[in-house]
Amino acid sequence: MISITGLRKSFGAATVLNGIDLEIRQGEVVSVLGSSGSGKSTLIRCINGLEKIDAGKITVDGFDVSKPRELSEARKRSGTVFQLFNLYPHMTAVQNVALAPIEVLKLPRMQAEAEARELLHSVGLTERADAYPSQLSGGQRQRVGICRALAMKPSYLLLDEVTSALDPEMTSEVLSILAALAKTGTTMVFVTHEIEFARSISSRIAFLDKGQLIADLPTEEFFSATGMALPRVAQFLSKMRKD
Amino acid sequence: MKFDLSILAKHIPFLLEGAWLTLQACTLAVLGSLVLGLAIGAMRTSASPLLNRLAAVYIDIFRNIPFIVQLFFFYFGLPEIGIYIDAFTTGVVALSIAGGAFTSDVIRSGILAIDPGVIEAAQVSGLRKITIFRKIILPIALRASVRPLGSVFINLILTSSILSTITLNELTGSAKIVASNTFRPFEVYFVLLVAYAALTYSVSILIGMLHRYLNRHQEEGAV
Repeated sequence: MISITGLRKSFGAATVLNGIDLEIRQGEVVSVLGSSGSGKSTLIRCINGLEKIDAGKITVDGFDVSKPRELSEARKRSGTVFQLFNLYPHMTAVQNVALAPIEVLKLPRMQAEAEARELLHSVGLTERADAYPSQLSGGQRQRVGICRALAMKPSYLLLDEVTSALDPEMTSEVLSILAALAKTGTTMVFVTHEIEFARSISSRIAFLDKGQLIADLPTEEFFSATGMALPRVAQFLSKMRKD
Repeated sequence: MKFDLSILAKHIPFLLEGAWLTLQACTLAVLGSLVLGLAIGAMRTSASPLLNRLAAVYIDIFRNIPFIVQLFFFYFGLPEIGIYIDAFTTGVVALSIAGGAFTSDVIRSGILAIDPGVIEAAQVSGLRKITIFRKIILPIALRASVRPLGSVFINLILTSSILSTITLNELTGSAKIVASNTFRPFEVYFVLLVAYAALTYSVSILIGMLHRYLNRHQEEGAV
């Protein structure tokens, strides 16, 4: 379980997260929605320890991410997929995927690379396994990014606007993979602007507004009268649908 | 005056000995300055203020003193406080230290140019700091640094001629001896000129090849 209590985070004078309480249990797909600047990405960056939190507590399966000793255990349990892919440019797709299993899980290279190839095969990149990131399209790069996160067999997958840098065709490539993952019971925290997709795969929706969690509802309720009763949610949904 | 290279024929073995010494000193100094540059460059980008400061001081000192002064200090100065080192070792060490100040700056910019997101991806995947440095930061920074490092190394080769001032008969030192023995400085220094040009030109060709090889996957466009 990922447990967030009383999380606060500011950058200088700007308070980005202002007292967040959120729990994500095994098997859930939780989409985090909210307008730009509402703190969605910062939330993910706090969970994986990329940002130091100012107050509150985040634990991943009981490991406190603000304690350096426990952070590495917490990180082993979660995998992150980034908006801008962040692949290692000097490594092939297979090497990108196999690096952490070799270095962190101490798998033999042969086994790690065989598993990496299998993962790449499962996302339709069998032929591109030995290509470098610069030789791949955006959608292909993001699929490698997903494989790299999955290679560590994480309990939780943190997805930070993973389709925001992709055109519609590539977006659907990536979303169909995420939909398949959701079906297999992978726990996901999904920060996104893809409202309809979030609706179709999520069990719960968390809605952030100005650093506060103003809704944390099962998906159907969020998109029904209960969600619409919240003015900020109603405003956000009508605006996003218009675009 | 007649330009006659043939009078140098019998001095060629002696000059080649000098060239061989230059080659040895430069190879060792290139390796030395690379190792030092990696260490200092890493310190210069480290989060520790102490290491960072130390590295900055090192770079400032050795980049702002003429090489010949550093060399004289090591070779003529240190014996005064009881430290005796032979000319060849002194030369290689001095070149490595001075070169290291320049290579570390190149490596530092190579490290700073890395997309922070790439390093973050490595961090969240649970890699240890030292592994991230070895497997991600260093290979990316070095690939970007091949060409600028090449210019530092070429400068190092040119600077190695100054080692002749501390009794080391490398290429320049032996040329000086031949020039004074034959009274034909024009021919001797003409040959010396060509020799250094050939040496540095071949190094720059090698650097270009290395750069293209290491960055081969960067130059192809996205599919």
